[in-house]
Amino acid sequence: MIEVRKLCKSYGERQAISNLTFTIEKGDVVGLLGPNGAGKSTTMKIITGFMAPTSGEAKICGFDVFEEPLEVKKRIGYLPETPPLYTEMIVEDYLKFVAELKGVDKTRLKLLVDKALTKTQLVDVRHRLIRNLSKGFKQRVGIAQALVSEPEVLILDEPTVGLDPKQVAEIRDLIKELRGEHTIILSTHILPEVQATCNKVIIIHEGKIVAQDSIDQIEKLNQGAIILNVRTRRPHHLNHQLGGIAGVQQVESINQYQMRITLSEQEDVIEEIAKEIIAAGVGLVELTPSRANLEDVFLKLTYGQNN
Amino acid sequence: MRGTFVLFKKELAGYFLSPLFYFISFLMTGLLSVMFSISLGKFHETVSNAMLQLGAPPQAQNIHYAVFIPHLSLVNLLLIFLVPALCMRLLAEEKKVRTFDLLLTSPVTSLTIVLGKYLATLVTIFGLIVVTMIYPVISSRIADFSWAPTLIAAIGIFLVAAVYAAMDLFASSLTDNGLIAFVLSIVFNLTIWFVGALNESFDEPTAKKILEHLSINTHLAGLIEGTVRTSGLVFIFSLIFLFCFLTERVIESSRWRAS
Repeated sequence: MIEVRKLCKSYGERQAISNLTFTIEKGDVVGLLGPNGAGKSTTMKIITGFMAPTSGEAKICGFDVFEEPLEVKKRIGYLPETPPLYTEMIVEDYLKFVAELKGVDKTRLKLLVDKALTKTQLVDVRHRLIRNLSKGFKQRVGIAQALVSEPEVLILDEPTVGLDPKQVAEIRDLIKELRGEHTIILSTHILPEVQATCNKVIIIHEGKIVAQDSIDQIEKLNQGAIILNVRTRRPHHLNHQLGGIAGVQQVESINQYQMRITLSEQEDVIEEIAKEIIAAGVGLVELTPSRANLEDVFLKLTYGQNN
Repeated sequence: MRGTFVLFKKELAGYFLSPLFYFISFLMTGLLSVMFSISLGKFHETVSNAMLQLGAPPQAQNIHYAVFIPHLSLVNLLLIFLVPALCMRLLAEEKKVRTFDLLLTSPVTSLTIVLGKYLATLVTIFGLIVVTMIYPVISSRIADFSWAPTLIAAIGIFLVAAVYAAMDLFASSLTDNGLIAFVLSIVFNLTIWFVGALNESFDEPTAKKILEHLSINTHLAGLIEGTVRTSGLVFIFSLIFLFCFLTERVIESSRWRAS
Protein backbone atom coordinates (compact mmCIF):
# COMPACT_ATOMS: atom_id res chain seq x y z
CA MET A 1 0.00 0.00 0.00
CA ILE A 2 2.65 2.47 1.08
CA GLU A 3 6.24 1.91 0.14
CA VAL A 4 8.97 4.26 1.20
CA ARG A 5 12.52 3.67 0.08
CA LYS A 6 15.69 5.47 1.16
CA LEU A 7 13.91 8.71 1.80
CA CYS A 8 16.12 11.68 2.73
CA LYS A 9 15.26 15.28 3.34
CA SER A 10 17.55 18.05 4.43
CA TYR A 11 16.71 21.64 5.22
CA GLY A 12 19.90 23.34 4.21
CA GLU A 13 22.57 21.95 6.49
CA ARG A 14 20.18 20.15 8.78
CA GLN A 15 19.28 16.60 7.87
CA ALA A 16 15.64 16.16 8.88
CA ILE A 17 15.32 12.54 7.85
CA SER A 18 17.82 10.16 6.37
CA ASN A 19 17.40 6.81 4.67
CA LEU A 20 13.89 5.99 5.79
CA THR A 21 12.67 2.72 4.39
CA PHE A 22 9.41 1.09 5.36
CA THR A 23 6.38 -0.65 3.91
CA ILE A 24 2.83 -0.47 5.15
CA GLU A 25 0.24 -3.05 4.19
CA LYS A 26 -3.38 -2.36 3.33
CA GLY A 27 -5.53 -2.00 6.44
CA ASP A 28 -2.66 -1.40 8.82
CA VAL A 29 -2.82 1.28 11.46
CA VAL A 30 0.72 2.48 11.89
CA GLY A 31 2.01 4.76 14.59
CA LEU A 32 4.88 6.99 13.67
CA LEU A 33 6.52 7.56 16.97
CA GLY A 34 9.32 9.84 17.97
CA PRO A 35 10.29 12.74 20.19
CA ASN A 36 9.62 16.27 19.00
CA GLY A 37 11.67 17.18 15.97
CA ALA A 38 12.44 13.58 15.04
CA GLY A 39 11.17 14.00 11.50
CA LYS A 40 7.65 12.61 11.82
CA SER A 41 5.92 15.56 10.19
CA THR A 42 8.53 15.81 7.47
CA THR A 43 7.99 12.15 6.60
CA MET A 44 4.24 12.65 6.43
CA LYS A 45 4.55 15.78 4.34
CA ILE A 46 6.63 13.89 1.83
CA ILE A 47 4.23 10.94 1.67
CA THR A 48 1.31 13.29 1.01
CA GLY A 49 3.19 14.99 -1.80
CA PHE A 50 3.13 18.28 0.06
CA MET A 51 6.88 18.43 -0.04
CA ALA A 52 9.53 16.84 -2.19
CA PRO A 53 12.33 14.80 -0.60
CA THR A 54 16.01 15.47 -1.26
CA SER A 55 16.38 11.90 -2.44
CA GLY A 56 14.61 8.56 -2.29
CA GLU A 57 11.14 7.53 -3.36
CA ALA A 58 7.69 6.99 -1.93
CA LYS A 59 4.85 5.04 -3.51
CA ILE A 60 1.22 4.97 -2.52
CA CYS A 61 -1.11 2.36 -4.03
CA GLY A 62 1.58 1.75 -6.63
CA PHE A 63 1.76 5.40 -7.72
CA ASP A 64 4.95 7.33 -7.22
CA VAL A 65 4.31 10.42 -5.12
CA PHE A 66 6.45 12.61 -7.39
CA GLU A 67 5.75 11.11 -10.79
CA GLU A 68 1.98 10.93 -10.46
CA PRO A 69 1.12 13.31 -7.60
CA LEU A 70 -2.51 13.79 -8.67
CA GLU A 71 -3.25 10.06 -8.60
CA VAL A 72 -1.68 9.82 -5.14
CA LYS A 73 -3.51 12.87 -3.81
CA LYS A 74 -6.86 11.44 -4.87
CA ARG A 75 -6.16 8.48 -2.62
CA ILE A 76 -5.03 10.19 0.55
CA GLY A 77 -6.67 12.18 3.28
CA TYR A 78 -4.27 14.31 5.26
CA LEU A 79 -4.66 16.07 8.56
CA PRO A 80 -1.67 18.37 9.07
CA GLU A 81 -0.48 19.51 12.50
CA THR A 82 -2.68 22.58 12.20
CA PRO A 83 -6.04 21.59 10.76
CA PRO A 84 -6.45 23.46 7.45
CA LEU A 85 -9.74 25.19 8.14
CA TYR A 86 -11.37 28.12 6.40
CA THR A 87 -12.72 29.66 9.57
CA GLU A 88 -15.20 31.89 7.77
CA MET A 89 -17.00 28.88 6.32
CA ILE A 90 -19.79 26.75 7.75
CA VAL A 91 -18.76 23.20 8.71
CA GLU A 92 -20.96 21.55 6.11
CA ASP A 93 -19.95 23.90 3.28
CA TYR A 94 -16.33 23.43 4.17
CA LEU A 95 -16.59 19.64 3.97
CA LYS A 96 -18.45 19.94 0.68
CA PHE A 97 -15.69 22.16 -0.66
CA VAL A 98 -12.97 19.71 0.39
CA ALA A 99 -14.87 16.77 -1.08
CA GLU A 100 -15.30 18.61 -4.39
CA LEU A 101 -11.66 19.60 -4.35
CA LYS A 102 -10.70 15.96 -3.90
CA GLY A 103 -12.73 15.12 -6.95
CA VAL A 104 -15.69 13.39 -5.31
CA ASP A 105 -18.54 12.73 -7.69
CA LYS A 106 -21.44 15.19 -7.46
CA THR A 107 -23.96 12.40 -6.87
CA ARG A 108 -22.09 11.07 -3.86
CA LEU A 109 -21.20 14.45 -2.40
CA LYS A 110 -24.03 14.79 0.07
CA LEU A 111 -23.82 11.18 1.16
CA LEU A 112 -20.11 11.40 1.90
CA VAL A 113 -20.41 14.72 3.73
CA ASP A 114 -23.16 13.28 5.91
CA LYS A 115 -21.09 10.18 6.55
CA ALA A 116 -18.04 12.19 7.61
CA LEU A 117 -20.19 14.38 9.86
CA THR A 118 -21.70 11.34 11.53
CA LYS A 119 -18.40 9.57 12.00
CA THR A 120 -16.80 12.57 13.65
CA GLN A 121 -19.96 13.43 15.62
CA LEU A 122 -20.29 16.84 14.05
CA VAL A 123 -23.92 16.57 12.99
CA ASP A 124 -25.03 19.02 15.67
CA VAL A 125 -22.63 21.73 14.59
CA ARG A 126 -22.93 21.26 10.84
CA HIS A 127 -24.48 24.70 10.32
CA ARG A 128 -22.08 26.60 12.55
CA LEU A 129 -19.20 28.78 11.49
CA ILE A 130 -15.90 26.97 11.98
CA ARG A 131 -14.49 30.10 13.60
CA ASN A 132 -16.93 29.76 16.51
CA LEU A 133 -16.12 26.13 17.28
CA SER A 134 -13.98 25.00 20.19
CA LYS A 135 -10.56 23.53 19.59
CA GLY A 136 -11.76 19.97 20.00
CA PHE A 137 -14.47 20.49 17.40
CA LYS A 138 -12.06 22.19 15.05
CA GLN A 139 -9.75 19.19 15.33
CA ARG A 140 -12.68 16.93 14.53
CA VAL A 141 -13.57 19.04 11.51
CA GLY A 142 -9.94 18.53 10.50
CA ILE A 143 -10.35 14.78 10.75
CA ALA A 144 -13.69 14.91 8.94
CA GLN A 145 -11.94 16.85 6.19
CA ALA A 146 -9.32 14.10 5.86
CA LEU A 147 -11.84 11.30 5.53
CA VAL A 148 -14.63 13.01 3.63
CA SER A 149 -13.44 11.77 0.24
CA GLU A 150 -13.15 8.18 1.56
CA PRO A 151 -9.45 7.96 0.77
CA GLU A 152 -7.66 4.64 0.85
CA VAL A 153 -4.89 6.11 2.98
CA LEU A 154 -5.37 8.41 5.94
CA ILE A 155 -2.43 10.38 7.21
CA LEU A 156 -2.99 12.06 10.56
CA ASP A 157 -0.31 14.28 12.04
CA GLU A 158 -0.76 14.35 15.80
CA PRO A 159 -4.52 13.98 15.69
CA THR A 160 -5.12 14.31 19.43
CA VAL A 161 -2.83 17.16 20.27
CA GLY A 162 -4.43 19.87 22.38
CA LEU A 163 -7.61 17.97 23.16
CA ASP A 164 -9.08 17.20 26.56
CA PRO A 165 -8.93 13.58 27.79
CA LYS A 166 -12.50 12.82 26.81
CA GLN A 167 -11.99 14.13 23.30
CA VAL A 168 -8.73 12.22 23.05
CA ALA A 169 -10.58 9.03 23.94
CA GLU A 170 -13.25 9.82 21.35
CA ILE A 171 -10.72 10.38 18.62
CA ARG A 172 -8.94 7.16 19.52
CA ASP A 173 -12.23 5.33 19.29
CA LEU A 174 -12.83 6.92 15.92
CA ILE A 175 -9.45 5.79 14.66
CA LYS A 176 -10.19 2.28 15.90
CA GLU A 177 -13.48 2.40 14.04
CA LEU A 178 -11.76 3.44 10.85
CA ARG A 179 -9.37 0.52 11.08
CA GLY A 180 -10.00 -1.88 8.26
CA GLU A 181 -11.65 0.67 6.00
CA HIS A 182 -8.56 2.74 5.55
CA THR A 183 -4.83 2.33 5.86
CA ILE A 184 -3.86 4.81 8.55
CA ILE A 185 -0.59 6.42 9.49
CA LEU A 186 -0.65 8.59 12.57
CA SER A 187 2.20 10.42 14.15
CA THR A 188 2.43 11.12 17.81
CA HIS A 189 4.79 11.39 20.71
CA ILE A 190 2.17 10.06 23.08
CA LEU A 191 2.75 6.37 23.69
CA PRO A 192 -0.59 5.23 25.06
CA GLU A 193 -2.10 6.53 21.85
CA VAL A 194 -0.05 4.13 19.80
CA GLN A 195 -0.79 1.26 22.17
CA ALA A 196 -4.49 2.05 22.04
CA THR A 197 -4.92 2.41 18.31
CA CYS A 198 -2.09 0.97 16.25
CA ASN A 199 -1.04 -2.50 15.27
CA LYS A 200 2.37 -1.47 14.02
CA VAL A 201 4.91 1.07 15.19
CA ILE A 202 7.72 2.87 13.49
CA ILE A 203 9.98 4.65 15.93
CA ILE A 204 11.95 7.52 14.47
CA HIS A 205 14.77 9.28 16.21
CA GLU A 206 16.84 12.08 14.74
CA GLY A 207 15.58 11.30 11.28
CA LYS A 208 16.37 7.61 11.38
CA ILE A 209 14.19 4.59 11.96
CA VAL A 210 15.34 2.97 15.18
CA ALA A 211 12.68 0.28 15.30
CA GLN A 212 9.74 -0.86 13.23
CA ASP A 213 7.56 -3.83 13.97
CA SER A 214 4.23 -4.84 15.41
CA ILE A 215 3.56 -3.55 18.91
CA ASP A 216 3.96 -7.00 20.49
CA GLN A 217 7.31 -7.54 18.85
CA ILE A 218 8.59 -4.15 19.95
CA GLU A 219 7.55 -4.72 23.52
CA LYS A 220 9.44 -8.01 23.47
CA LEU A 221 12.61 -6.16 22.56
CA ASN A 222 13.00 -5.10 26.11
CA GLN A 223 11.84 -8.30 27.71
CA GLY A 224 14.01 -10.51 29.81
CA ALA A 225 14.41 -7.85 32.43
CA ILE A 226 11.73 -7.71 35.10
CA ILE A 227 12.07 -5.18 37.83
CA LEU A 228 10.63 -6.06 41.20
CA ASN A 229 9.73 -3.36 43.69
CA VAL A 230 9.70 -4.67 47.26
CA ARG A 231 8.55 -2.90 50.41
CA THR A 232 8.44 -4.31 53.92
CA ARG A 233 6.87 -3.12 57.17
CA ARG A 234 10.04 -3.50 59.24
CA PRO A 235 13.66 -2.76 58.34
CA HIS A 236 15.49 -5.70 56.85
CA HIS A 237 18.97 -6.80 55.81
CA LEU A 238 18.11 -9.28 53.10
CA ASN A 239 20.18 -7.82 50.29
CA HIS A 240 22.87 -10.40 50.38
CA GLN A 241 20.50 -13.29 50.84
CA LEU A 242 18.30 -12.28 47.93
CA GLY A 243 21.27 -11.59 45.75
CA GLY A 244 22.21 -15.22 46.13
CA ILE A 245 19.06 -16.57 44.49
CA ALA A 246 19.62 -17.84 40.98
CA GLY A 247 18.10 -15.48 38.40
CA VAL A 248 18.53 -12.32 40.42
CA GLN A 249 20.79 -9.88 38.66
CA GLN A 250 20.96 -7.02 41.04
CA VAL A 251 19.57 -5.90 44.40
CA GLU A 252 19.39 -2.20 45.14
CA SER A 253 18.28 -0.79 48.46
CA ILE A 254 16.31 2.40 48.22
CA ASN A 255 16.01 2.72 52.00
CA GLN A 256 15.63 0.38 54.95
CA TYR A 257 12.17 -0.66 53.88
CA GLN A 258 12.34 -0.57 50.14
CA MET A 259 14.45 -2.19 47.50
CA ARG A 260 14.50 -2.78 43.79
CA ILE A 261 15.46 -6.17 42.44
CA THR A 262 16.34 -6.77 38.82
CA LEU A 263 15.57 -10.26 37.57
CA SER A 264 17.02 -11.73 34.47
CA GLU A 265 13.97 -13.70 33.37
CA GLN A 266 11.76 -16.35 34.90
CA GLU A 267 8.77 -15.50 36.93
CA ASP A 268 9.50 -18.42 39.27
CA VAL A 269 12.21 -16.34 40.81
CA ILE A 270 9.58 -13.96 42.15
CA GLU A 271 8.09 -16.83 44.13
CA GLU A 272 11.51 -17.64 45.58
CA ILE A 273 12.03 -14.07 46.65
CA ALA A 274 8.60 -13.84 48.24
CA LYS A 275 9.27 -17.00 50.23
CA GLU A 276 12.62 -15.66 51.41
CA ILE A 277 11.18 -12.35 52.63
CA ILE A 278 8.25 -13.94 54.39
CA ALA A 279 10.58 -16.42 56.08
CA ALA A 280 12.62 -13.50 57.41
CA GLY A 281 9.47 -12.19 59.06
CA VAL A 282 9.94 -8.54 58.15
CA GLY A 283 6.33 -8.06 57.01
CA LEU A 284 5.99 -8.02 53.23
CA VAL A 285 3.58 -5.24 52.17
CA GLU A 286 4.44 -4.73 48.52
CA LEU A 287 5.86 -6.85 45.75
CA THR A 288 5.26 -5.38 42.32
CA PRO A 289 6.84 -6.69 39.16
CA SER A 290 7.02 -3.97 36.52
CA ARG A 291 7.25 -5.26 33.06
CA ALA A 292 9.06 -3.41 30.34
CA ASN A 293 6.51 -1.66 28.17
CA LEU A 294 6.50 0.38 25.04
CA GLU A 295 7.44 3.44 27.01
CA ASP A 296 10.70 1.88 28.20
CA VAL A 297 11.49 0.66 24.74
CA PHE A 298 10.82 4.10 23.38
CA LEU A 299 12.96 5.83 25.95
CA LYS A 300 15.73 3.31 25.51
CA LEU A 301 15.69 3.63 21.75
CA THR A 302 15.53 7.39 21.61
CA TYR A 303 16.80 9.21 24.66
CA GLY A 304 18.87 6.24 25.80
CA GLN A 305 21.23 6.60 22.87
CA ASN A 306 22.47 9.94 23.98
CA ASN A 307 23.23 8.95 27.54
CA MET B 1 -10.75 22.02 -14.95
CA ARG B 2 -13.17 20.92 -12.28
CA GLY B 3 -10.73 21.92 -9.57
CA THR B 4 -10.54 25.42 -11.06
CA PHE B 5 -14.30 25.70 -10.95
CA VAL B 6 -14.47 24.43 -7.35
CA LEU B 7 -11.87 26.96 -6.23
CA PHE B 8 -13.47 29.69 -8.32
CA LYS B 9 -16.82 29.06 -6.66
CA LYS B 10 -15.30 29.05 -3.20
CA GLU B 11 -13.32 32.25 -3.74
CA LEU B 12 -16.26 34.03 -5.31
CA ALA B 13 -18.42 33.10 -2.34
CA GLY B 14 -15.58 34.33 -0.13
CA TYR B 15 -15.67 37.71 -1.88
CA PHE B 16 -19.37 38.24 -2.00
CA LEU B 17 -20.23 36.77 1.39
CA SER B 18 -17.63 38.82 3.22
CA PRO B 19 -18.24 42.44 4.15
CA LEU B 20 -15.00 43.46 2.43
CA PHE B 21 -16.50 43.65 -1.06
CA TYR B 22 -19.44 45.72 0.12
CA PHE B 23 -17.21 47.97 2.16
CA ILE B 24 -15.00 48.57 -0.88
CA SER B 25 -18.05 49.26 -3.07
CA PHE B 26 -19.31 51.68 -0.45
CA LEU B 27 -16.00 53.54 -0.29
CA MET B 28 -15.84 53.74 -4.04
CA THR B 29 -19.37 54.93 -4.62
CA GLY B 30 -19.05 57.45 -1.80
CA LEU B 31 -16.05 59.11 -3.40
CA LEU B 32 -17.29 58.75 -6.97
CA SER B 33 -20.66 60.28 -6.17
CA VAL B 34 -19.02 63.47 -4.94
CA MET B 35 -16.56 63.74 -7.82
CA PHE B 36 -19.03 62.75 -10.54
CA SER B 37 -21.60 65.33 -9.56
CA ILE B 38 -18.94 68.04 -9.45
CA SER B 39 -17.63 67.27 -12.95
CA LEU B 40 -21.14 66.84 -14.31
CA GLY B 41 -22.07 70.26 -12.87
CA LYS B 42 -19.00 71.84 -14.46
CA PHE B 43 -19.81 70.24 -17.79
CA HIS B 44 -23.36 71.51 -17.60
CA GLU B 45 -22.06 75.00 -16.92
CA THR B 46 -19.73 74.85 -19.92
CA VAL B 47 -22.27 73.63 -22.44
CA SER B 48 -25.08 75.87 -21.30
CA ASN B 49 -22.99 79.06 -21.43
CA ALA B 50 -22.04 80.19 -24.93
CA MET B 51 -19.37 82.55 -23.59
CA LEU B 52 -17.48 79.75 -21.89
CA GLN B 53 -17.53 77.69 -25.06
CA LEU B 54 -15.63 80.31 -27.03
CA GLY B 55 -12.12 79.72 -25.75
CA ALA B 56 -12.60 76.16 -24.52
CA PRO B 57 -11.08 73.19 -26.36
CA PRO B 58 -13.60 71.03 -28.19
CA GLN B 59 -13.00 68.14 -25.81
CA ALA B 60 -14.46 70.17 -22.94
CA GLN B 61 -17.77 70.14 -24.78
CA ASN B 62 -17.89 66.38 -25.09
CA ILE B 63 -19.43 64.51 -22.15
CA HIS B 64 -17.14 61.55 -22.80
CA TYR B 65 -13.98 63.61 -22.30
CA ALA B 66 -15.29 66.09 -19.79
CA VAL B 67 -17.15 63.77 -17.43
CA PHE B 68 -16.72 60.06 -18.09
CA ILE B 69 -12.96 60.00 -18.58
CA PRO B 70 -12.22 61.86 -15.34
CA HIS B 71 -14.73 59.53 -13.70
CA LEU B 72 -12.97 56.40 -14.99
CA SER B 73 -9.55 57.85 -14.17
CA LEU B 74 -10.68 58.22 -10.61
CA VAL B 75 -11.97 54.63 -10.69
CA ASN B 76 -8.54 53.59 -11.88
CA LEU B 77 -6.85 55.54 -9.11
CA LEU B 78 -9.11 53.89 -6.54
CA LEU B 79 -8.51 50.45 -8.01
CA ILE B 80 -4.74 50.89 -7.54
CA PHE B 81 -5.47 50.74 -3.82
CA LEU B 82 -8.61 48.61 -3.71
CA VAL B 83 -7.49 45.68 -5.85
CA PRO B 84 -4.63 45.00 -3.38
CA ALA B 85 -7.22 44.98 -0.60
CA LEU B 86 -9.18 42.33 -2.49
CA CYS B 87 -6.15 40.27 -3.43
CA MET B 88 -3.99 40.41 -0.34
CA ARG B 89 -5.73 37.55 1.43
CA LEU B 90 -5.84 35.24 -1.60
CA LEU B 91 -2.64 33.31 -0.97
CA ALA B 92 -1.01 35.08 1.97
CA GLU B 93 -3.83 34.10 4.28
CA GLU B 94 -3.94 30.55 2.99
CA LYS B 95 -0.31 30.27 3.98
CA LYS B 96 -0.83 31.91 7.33
CA VAL B 97 -3.71 29.71 8.49
CA ARG B 98 -2.17 26.67 6.80
CA THR B 99 -5.09 25.98 4.49
CA PHE B 100 -2.44 26.12 1.81
CA ASP B 101 -1.48 22.61 2.99
CA LEU B 102 -4.94 21.43 2.04
CA LEU B 103 -4.66 22.89 -1.46
CA LEU B 104 -1.21 21.42 -2.00
CA THR B 105 -2.27 17.95 -0.87
CA SER B 106 -5.43 17.97 -2.96
CA PRO B 107 -5.48 16.54 -6.45
CA VAL B 108 -5.21 19.93 -8.12
CA THR B 109 -2.28 21.49 -9.96
CA SER B 110 -0.73 24.82 -9.10
CA LEU B 111 -2.17 26.21 -12.31
CA THR B 112 -5.66 25.23 -11.19
CA ILE B 113 -5.17 27.08 -7.92
CA VAL B 114 -3.96 30.24 -9.68
CA LEU B 115 -6.73 30.18 -12.28
CA GLY B 116 -9.49 29.57 -9.76
CA LYS B 117 -8.37 32.45 -7.61
CA TYR B 118 -7.59 34.79 -10.48
CA LEU B 119 -10.90 34.27 -12.25
CA ALA B 120 -12.84 34.83 -9.05
CA THR B 121 -10.97 38.10 -8.54
CA LEU B 122 -11.71 39.15 -12.12
CA VAL B 123 -15.42 38.58 -11.63
CA THR B 124 -15.32 40.61 -8.43
CA ILE B 125 -13.49 43.46 -10.14
CA PHE B 126 -15.97 43.26 -12.97
CA GLY B 127 -18.66 43.70 -10.34
CA LEU B 128 -16.94 46.82 -9.07
CA ILE B 129 -16.68 48.26 -12.60
CA VAL B 130 -20.36 47.51 -13.15
CA VAL B 131 -21.09 49.50 -10.00
CA THR B 132 -19.16 52.47 -11.38
CA MET B 133 -21.18 52.34 -14.60
CA ILE B 134 -24.25 53.35 -12.63
CA TYR B 135 -23.14 56.97 -13.11
CA PRO B 136 -23.10 57.03 -16.93
CA VAL B 137 -26.39 55.08 -16.91
CA ILE B 138 -28.02 57.73 -14.78
CA SER B 139 -26.49 60.48 -16.97
CA SER B 140 -28.04 58.91 -20.04
CA ARG B 141 -31.46 59.93 -18.70
CA ILE B 142 -30.53 63.59 -18.87
CA ALA B 143 -28.12 63.65 -21.79
CA ASP B 144 -27.93 61.95 -25.13
CA PHE B 145 -24.52 60.49 -25.91
CA SER B 146 -22.86 57.63 -27.71
CA TRP B 147 -22.21 54.66 -25.42
CA ALA B 148 -19.46 52.95 -27.41
CA PRO B 149 -16.43 55.05 -26.34
CA THR B 150 -17.50 54.97 -22.70
CA LEU B 151 -17.90 51.20 -22.74
CA ILE B 152 -14.54 50.74 -24.44
CA ALA B 153 -12.95 53.01 -21.84
CA ALA B 154 -14.60 50.96 -19.08
CA ILE B 155 -13.27 47.78 -20.66
CA GLY B 156 -9.86 49.47 -20.74
CA ILE B 157 -10.06 50.16 -17.01
CA PHE B 158 -11.20 46.59 -16.42
CA LEU B 159 -8.20 45.26 -18.35
CA VAL B 160 -5.83 47.46 -16.37
CA ALA B 161 -7.48 46.25 -13.17
CA ALA B 162 -6.98 42.69 -14.44
CA VAL B 163 -3.26 43.48 -14.68
CA TYR B 164 -3.36 44.78 -11.11
CA ALA B 165 -5.11 41.61 -10.00
CA ALA B 166 -2.44 39.42 -11.60
CA MET B 167 0.36 41.42 -10.00
CA ASP B 168 -1.36 41.52 -6.65
CA LEU B 169 -2.03 37.79 -6.71
CA PHE B 170 1.67 37.37 -7.31
CA ALA B 171 2.49 39.71 -4.41
CA SER B 172 0.16 37.68 -2.21
CA SER B 173 1.95 34.47 -3.15
CA LEU B 174 5.29 35.85 -1.97
CA THR B 175 4.47 36.23 1.69
CA ASP B 176 2.27 34.92 4.46
CA ASN B 177 1.64 38.39 5.82
CA GLY B 178 -1.42 40.15 4.43
CA LEU B 179 -0.11 43.60 5.18
CA ILE B 180 3.17 43.04 3.36
CA ALA B 181 1.20 41.63 0.43
CA PHE B 182 -0.98 44.76 0.45
CA VAL B 183 1.92 47.22 0.45
CA LEU B 184 3.86 45.22 -2.14
CA SER B 185 0.76 45.14 -4.36
CA ILE B 186 0.41 48.92 -4.24
CA VAL B 187 4.07 49.28 -5.14
CA PHE B 188 3.57 46.97 -8.12
CA ASN B 189 0.44 48.78 -9.23
CA LEU B 190 2.12 52.17 -9.09
CA THR B 191 5.25 50.91 -10.80
CA ILE B 192 3.51 50.13 -14.08
CA TRP B 193 2.40 53.76 -14.18
CA PHE B 194 5.78 55.22 -13.36
CA VAL B 195 7.85 53.08 -15.69
CA GLY B 196 6.64 55.30 -18.53
CA ALA B 197 7.81 58.44 -16.80
CA LEU B 198 11.38 57.11 -16.90
CA ASN B 199 11.59 57.84 -20.62
CA GLU B 200 12.15 61.50 -19.75
CA SER B 201 15.58 60.59 -18.40
CA PHE B 202 16.71 58.80 -21.56
CA ASP B 203 17.87 60.47 -24.72
CA GLU B 204 18.47 57.39 -26.75
CA PRO B 205 15.41 56.97 -29.02
CA THR B 206 15.26 53.16 -28.76
CA ALA B 207 15.31 53.23 -24.96
CA LYS B 208 12.66 55.93 -25.02
CA LYS B 209 10.49 53.81 -27.27
CA ILE B 210 10.89 50.70 -25.15
CA LEU B 211 9.98 52.53 -21.97
CA GLU B 212 7.05 54.16 -23.64
CA HIS B 213 5.79 50.79 -24.73
CA LEU B 214 6.25 49.40 -21.23
CA SER B 215 4.08 52.10 -19.73
CA ILE B 216 0.52 51.04 -19.17
CA ASN B 217 -0.42 54.67 -19.72
CA THR B 218 0.40 54.49 -23.42
CA HIS B 219 -1.82 51.48 -23.89
CA LEU B 220 -4.67 52.67 -21.76
CA ALA B 221 -4.72 56.07 -23.49
CA GLY B 222 -5.95 54.51 -26.71
CA LEU B 223 -8.68 52.54 -24.99
CA ILE B 224 -9.77 55.59 -22.99
CA GLU B 225 -10.33 57.49 -26.20
CA GLY B 226 -12.39 54.62 -27.48
CA THR B 227 -9.86 53.02 -29.83
CA VAL B 228 -8.83 49.40 -29.46
CA ARG B 229 -5.24 48.68 -30.56
CA THR B 230 -3.97 45.13 -30.70
CA SER B 231 -0.50 46.16 -29.48
CA GLY B 232 -2.11 47.44 -26.28
CA LEU B 233 -4.16 44.29 -25.81
CA VAL B 234 -1.12 42.10 -26.43
CA PHE B 235 0.84 44.08 -23.85
CA ILE B 236 -1.91 43.82 -21.24
CA PHE B 237 -2.52 40.12 -21.81
CA SER B 238 1.23 39.46 -21.70
CA LEU B 239 1.46 41.15 -18.31
CA ILE B 240 -1.47 39.11 -17.01
CA PHE B 241 0.04 35.93 -18.34
CA LEU B 242 3.48 36.78 -16.94
CA PHE B 243 2.26 37.41 -13.41
CA CYS B 244 -0.10 34.43 -13.34
CA PHE B 245 2.79 32.32 -14.55
CA LEU B 246 5.08 33.72 -11.85
CA THR B 247 2.43 33.00 -9.21
CA GLU B 248 2.09 29.47 -10.48
CA ARG B 249 5.87 29.07 -10.20
CA VAL B 250 5.90 30.39 -6.65
CA ILE B 251 3.15 27.96 -5.62
CA GLU B 252 4.92 25.12 -7.36
CA SER B 253 8.20 26.04 -5.68
CA SER B 254 6.69 25.62 -2.23
CA ARG B 255 6.45 21.93 -3.07
CA TRP B 256 10.18 21.53 -3.23
CA ARG B 257 11.55 24.44 -1.24
CA ALA B 258 12.32 23.85 2.42
CA SER B 259 9.61 25.64 4.31
